[in-house]
Amino acid sequence: MSNRRSRQSSNASRISDDQMIDLVSKLRQFLPEIHERRRSDKVSASKVLQETCNYIRKLHREVDNLSDRLSQLLDSVDEDGPEAAVIRSLLM
Amino acid sequence: MFYDEAMMNTYNMVKQRFIKKWINTLHMLDSSIEHPLNVTERKNAIRLSSDLAIAATRSGSTVWSRTLISRSGNKTTNLTTNKPMARRILKKARNRMKNRCSTLRRNGNFTAKVGVRKRTELLKSLVPGGELIDDKDYLIRETLDYIVYLRAQVDVMRTVAAVDLVTGNLTNDRTNK
Repeated sequence: MSNRRSRQSSNASRISDDQMIDLVSKLRQFLPEIHERRRSDKVSASKVLQETCNYIRKLHREVDNLSDRLSQLLDSVDEDGPEAAVIRSLLM
Repeated sequence: MFYDEAMMNTYNMVKQRFIKKWINTLHMLDSSIEHPLNVTERKNAIRLSSDLAIAATRSGSTVWSRTLISRSGNKTTNLTTNKPMARRILKKARNRMKNRCSTLRRNGNFTAKVGVRKRTELLKSLVPGGELIDDKDYLIRETLDYIVYLRAQVDVMRTVAAVDLVTGNLTNDRTNK
């Protein structure tokens, strides 16, 4: 990150093949569904970006749903009841 | 899940750090907001504390984590602690981005590139602070970093939500893909 100043990417508006390969190999650990139609260095940048965006959106939705669920779980908990004790011990 | 065992260990460490931070942010929020809460308020508090915690877990030099902290600061007007600091952090991040990044130049060949450009803009909107980043390389690094931590956040929240409140055990209901 420190030598970024010296690096002028000549075609900054497109992602280079190297970057795509790097991104794909890392994303494959999370997204085994990325479908490579041709050789790995020809994976469509557009497709990988789309998969990435879908994945992030999915994770955002999950955080939202889980926040919902947790708040409902806690709502049903009587403050002095045993469940509250469990939560307290969880949070300790 | 991970091919690499070292990566798995790092990932577990991230989750553990996140849990600790989350406990802190929950307590922090809890002591600063008015009780009793309705379900929506509680949900927002949980979400906010969780986002703050995952950002704090990362701390460091990522744009996404500083953006989340700054955003969370704006949402908690009762908390006087971090708001001005968060603004300064984000301002610093912005300036750093401007100095470092090359500007987007137009590429003559539009056909295949339109899809990439459009989706890149979408990605920028999904990664916190992504709109501040012009450099593609930087954006990709931020994205990969963000995904790891976001995923850790989901995993932990899923586990907590799966705790059976009566027995204190985990229910089987952990996989809600």
